[in-house]
Amino acid sequence: MKITLISIPVRDQQKALEFYTEKLGFIVKKDAPLEGGNRWLTLVSKEAQDGPELLLEPAPNHFEPSKVYQDALMEAGIPWTQFDVENVDAEYERLLKLSVEFSVKPTQMGTVKFAVFNDTCGNNIQIVEML
Amino acid sequence: MNTIKMTHYETELNRIRKKVFSNQGQLDTVIGIRNYIDNNYDINLNLNVLSHLGFVSKYHLLRLFKRYYGQTPRQYLIDTRIKKSKEHLKNGMTVTETCFAVGFESLGSFSTLFKHKTGKTPAQFQKEQLSRSNLNFDSGICER
Repeated sequence: MKITLISIPVRDQQKALEFYTEKLGFIVKKDAPLEGGNRWLTLVSKEAQDGPELLLEPAPNHFEPSKVYQDALMEAGIPWTQFDVENVDAEYERLLKLSVEFSVKPTQMGTVKFAVFNDTCGNNIQIVEML
Repeated sequence: MNTIKMTHYETELNRIRKKVFSNQGQLDTVIGIRNYIDNNYDINLNLNVLSHLGFVSKYHLLRLFKRYYGQTPRQYLIDTRIKKSKEHLKNGMTVTETCFAVGFESLGSFSTLFKHKTGKTPAQFQKEQLSRSNLNFDSGICER
């Protein structure tokens, strides 16, 4: 068995696609139409294109508990998903210029530095740098 | 603009930070050791060398590193060497050169470990990567 995919719930797949590619810099790996306008839409990191894929999953629109859970995480400020970066401060500055909103500025905690931003699709996302 | 109301997440982080990460001296030690490994993965590193640097005993260092990074210095060193060797192989360095460039002393142990960690031998990995980059190059030309 191999770990190749992680899912992230999004309210709007197209909007998520734009945010995750244009602002975060991921690239599309798979984009196939499914039923009812939904897509099997996965992304990969530019620097690890054979690494795990991120599935932009429209669950909150189709499964109420998913929406409730996503809303609760957002309200509590909890990031369910995190991505590794080389330099949190640099990434924070870069994303600020692209009008990304942060709920936690770059902060050290133990052996990591991290920050949290809003992906505009219902999620808090954490970026982390190992110190 | 500072928001006064902290989220549940921030409140929890502050609580956990106080409980788990209050010893800045220990943190400085392990962060220093990790930086040293990052910059010196290509030499013969072992717990003796690392513990001298951090001015702590071998076993204390082992415990501290594991506690704050979740893996032992040796595991971290191996992961770092494998990561760097992938970069070298992608850039076209030979398997033998790569082996010594990342601090392994025998080709056999490098190849075995590489296969164990990545599922492929260094030669297989390199062949795949190089054919992949040729493919990207070709498709780039087609799109124009």
